[in-house]
Amino acid sequence: MHRFNLNKHFLLFLLLLLAMPLWTQAQTVLKGKVVNTKGEAVSHATIWLAELKGEVADEQGNFTLTKLPKEGKLKISAVGFETIWSTWPAGKTSESFVLSASTSELETVVVTGNFEPQSARQSVYQVRTISSEVIQNRAPRNIQEVLSTELGIRFSQDNALGSSNMELLGMSGQNVKILIDGIPMVGRQGTSNEININQIDINRIERVEIVEGPMSVVYGADALAGVINIITKSDGSEKFDVKARVQEETVGNEYSPFDGKGTHIRSVTGSYKFKNWDFGASFSQNNFGGWKGEETGREYEWLPKDQNFLNLKAGWGNESLNLEYQLDFLDETVFSYGPEARLEMLDQEFITSRWMHRLSGRWDTNSKFGVTWQGAFTDYARESQTWVTNARTGEHYQSQAPGTNTTIDYIGFSWRMIGDWKIAEKFKLQPGIDLNLENGSGERITENEGIQDYAVFLSGEWSPISTIKIKPGLRKSWNSAYDTPALIPSLNTKFALNENLDLRLAYANGFRAPSIRELYFNFFDASHSITGNPDLKAETSNSFNGSLDWKTEVNPTWKTSTVLGAFYNDVKDRIAYGQDPDNIQVTTLFNVEHYKTTGFTLNQAHSFKNLTANIGFSYIGRYNLLSEEQTVVPQMSWTPEVNANLTYQISPWRSTATLFYKWTGALPGYETTADSEGNPSATQIMLDGYHWMDISFKKDFGGHLSVNAGARNILDVKQISSTSQGGDAHGTGTQRPVGYGRSYFLGLTYQLNK
Amino acid sequence: MKQYRFLSLTALLAGATIFSSCDDDPEPVIVPPTESGIIEVDGGGAEYPNTAFIQFRTGTQTAVARESWDLAFSSGSDFKVLINGTTGAMASATGKTDISTVGADEIAAAEASGELILTFTNLEGILHVDDAANPLTNPAIASISSTDAENEVYLLNRGTSAATERPWKKIRITRNGTGYTLEHADADSDTFTSLEVSKNAEDNFVYVSFENGIVEVEPAKAAWDIAWTAGTSSTPYPDATNGTLAYFFQDLVYSNIYGGVGVAQVVETDIAYSDFTEADVFSLTFSTNNRLTIGSSWRSGGGPSSSPAVKEDIYYLVKDAEANIYKVRFLSLTKDGERGKPSLEFELVSEEL
Repeated sequence: MHRFNLNKHFLLFLLLLLAMPLWTQAQTVLKGKVVNTKGEAVSHATIWLAELKGEVADEQGNFTLTKLPKEGKLKISAVGFETIWSTWPAGKTSESFVLSASTSELETVVVTGNFEPQSARQSVYQVRTISSEVIQNRAPRNIQEVLSTELGIRFSQDNALGSSNMELLGMSGQNVKILIDGIPMVGRQGTSNEININQIDINRIERVEIVEGPMSVVYGADALAGVINIITKSDGSEKFDVKARVQEETVGNEYSPFDGKGTHIRSVTGSYKFKNWDFGASFSQNNFGGWKGEETGREYEWLPKDQNFLNLKAGWGNESLNLEYQLDFLDETVFSYGPEARLEMLDQEFITSRWMHRLSGRWDTNSKFGVTWQGAFTDYARESQTWVTNARTGEHYQSQAPGTNTTIDYIGFSWRMIGDWKIAEKFKLQPGIDLNLENGSGERITENEGIQDYAVFLSGEWSPISTIKIKPGLRKSWNSAYDTPALIPSLNTKFALNENLDLRLAYANGFRAPSIRELYFNFFDASHSITGNPDLKAETSNSFNGSLDWKTEVNPTWKTSTVLGAFYNDVKDRIAYGQDPDNIQVTTLFNVEHYKTTGFTLNQAHSFKNLTANIGFSYIGRYNLLSEEQTVVPQMSWTPEVNANLTYQISPWRSTATLFYKWTGALPGYETTADSEGNPSATQIMLDGYHWMDISFKKDFGGHLSVNAGARNILDVKQISSTSQGGDAHGTGTQRPVGYGRSYFLGLTYQLNK
Repeated sequence: MKQYRFLSLTALLAGATIFSSCDDDPEPVIVPPTESGIIEVDGGGAEYPNTAFIQFRTGTQTAVARESWDLAFSSGSDFKVLINGTTGAMASATGKTDISTVGADEIAAAEASGELILTFTNLEGILHVDDAANPLTNPAIASISSTDAENEVYLLNRGTSAATERPWKKIRITRNGTGYTLEHADADSDTFTSLEVSKNAEDNFVYVSFENGIVEVEPAKAAWDIAWTAGTSSTPYPDATNGTLAYFFQDLVYSNIYGGVGVAQVVETDIAYSDFTEADVFSLTFSTNNRLTIGSSWRSGGGPSSSPAVKEDIYYLVKDAEANIYKVRFLSLTKDGERGKPSLEFELVSEEL
């Protein structure tokens, strides 16, 4: 396996960083800063020079220009602010530019589903954003922590594998497309073939965008429930930038400093700009010491996990062309300790390594036509190793017995290209192509040709009058392994009913592709007889979405926004297990089931002086399959959720206090049981609800150092109980793990730039 | 291991001493029972191909492929025949007594009902297997009657565990003096073969393979105490016929009840394994009518975050046919991480007087 010699690599990396300032000495630059009327930095403003070349300011509002613009003129725009035209003062090498806020400060910028970043208000999609401030204030351990207090998102912990499965708006995680900067993640594994979202470096995440409802026209298979687009940090305009983060956390009441028990996060990031080039590198470690809980022997309730992440990138750009290459490497080991034994103790290690190469770019031929593309090549391998410890001799060695060490390899290539063609003032066309090639192999996967998927899509954006946007879309795909739906249509509309009120209505067709495992995975032993079914076709859905978005300013210090959303999803041909008619001893997969979800969400955001409050409520219905057989079973089972997110800025102390809260309501369901006469009947089962609360504080010291501290899972939740008798094949019992109890964290972030 | 080698060596030396000193003594040589040892059970590996018969007083084991036999003819005073539960075999009576008239119709009926396939969905499976705990009390094939007309033809699925899937057979067994006559053929065949099987007083059963005739499987009835094997077991299940579901379990331990071996289970918290002495034997009742007294009780099944494991809090007392009493505990399910190779240790508690 790819194991790092940490010391060696770290040293190399430090040397690189040390060498950087030497290269930067010679440059003379103009340094600008974009601030708001209060003098606070405005992040990511765009600085347009006369020759149409754009620069983007960094998080702190800083930007640099290598030469004076023509006649010193520049235009500065930022989301949420009025655009200004200004002149660079002659003879000065540094200057601040003040932007005044536009009517709504609550505006955010989104990129998912769009050709280029645009304000969330302008987007035809209803996009939820978890902003960089929220992520910074929270100082999370992993992305799951950030998402789990979002409305409509539930995680179920798979403590056998040390991973977790996600559910979005009542649909399982395999229906959710996970993107990194718009690029689909591959590496479907585990029991339900979904992406393990925690295999992403938390330190590189800038913000997260969640789009509910199918995005299959643009993103293809599996974007049936929605899309989660994880936007990674982009470089600021600094010459060079070095950032280091160390965070220590307890895991419940278990902790040992810097190693072993507890969570230990450390990360170093550096970036450097030179003429048209920019380079970046980062290395992170995220080690989780596991949690023993009730276990007293060698076993853990939550398995220990070590993660190493490496990112390297290089970019080049001029006024019309931008190219960026990124390499991401993940090395993850999950340790599963076997029980105490008198002779042989067996431990398992699940080792994941993933190499991901990305090439993205943008080319603007002229003001009428531009192209963006995102390509990725991913090599994903997951190895299970069995280690033997002999209790009598103390020997520790890897088992060589057949079947005790297995590997699954997964190779994926994806290429998406979208053009943006402004035909007229009111009409834009966006044609695109999307290629996805994947190949899986492993001990239990039958020989296969892989899956090749080729798709073309076209969407148009028509704005007959300025308050109306209509975006129809169509996708046609061809797949080598399964029958694709004929044509995937979608229609998104947005109506600005008045200055403060927007209505969005959408219809979309979504589909989920059968995975390589569902097609080709065979598993036979004394207690399993499972085969894949190569004749599966895609699951398809019809989905309707609507939302009302009302933003208003009660007075200059109090702004609010309210979003009311509703959705209805109807899934056909859902893939489910059944008995093979040719051999009833064998279990295989069929397109048989029907499934529906529906519900509504209500979100309110208030910004009052130093306080920002987001409060949400959702009520989601999930279809009961048993209602087809048993009349007493209602068609839908409903679950409420409430969340709140309060941020208070304590200005004199340069501190921020944030509270995250979510109530996940009880989840009802039905299962078949036998009544006293042995006839099948339906019984209602209930998975308990629970409350979750995190509090965190962030304080800045000087310009470089910030400290995060806080407590997670303040209400000390560990397990919730289910009244289900059967449960799944591995009999998870009546207790479902949710958390490992109240935990505390302390983190330091140091940033140095020039 | 070392301990075992050392002790068996002393046993041998002791034997050798007896040999050398009593060279010309016509009396049979008495080898004292092995005091203690560890046995790495030769289950054959992850596919569990073997049944391993273990004898403590010699510290030896005999491994036999589970698929090597099909029928076991009782050597006792009764006339009973067992099917091979260690491959998951199942049998159904056809209601006919002429083997040549059984064929496509019976096969089709059994295939349609799924009654001859051992799965969790076969709720009447228990009717088509031998009793798991004491097979001679309730075998799938009715006792062989002295009245030939009462002996029906059975349809037999030979089982698919540790065996390639083989065509179903049809069989009919009748008495032949003090022995048996077996008629057998592929279930859809027009012809059949006959085989005469005599009882053997040294053995519990005489074993027959359809391909190889009479075969050696089980050691002589006085020559083994417990056997590790995969095989058909049963579990209470309300929906199933008689409230019992037949299912296949891969870590069963039989005791030689027909050879006079008794087994008792002890919980570690009552008397620790290391503290158990001869005096404690009197508090125990040895079961001699349930070969599954050890059965599957020695290991836990595992769960979502754990693998199957040996239960640390249970051990067993085994009284062999010569009334030597051993304490026995299981150590491991694996050898070098490979399943199907469990190990156990044993220690003599009380020697035959």
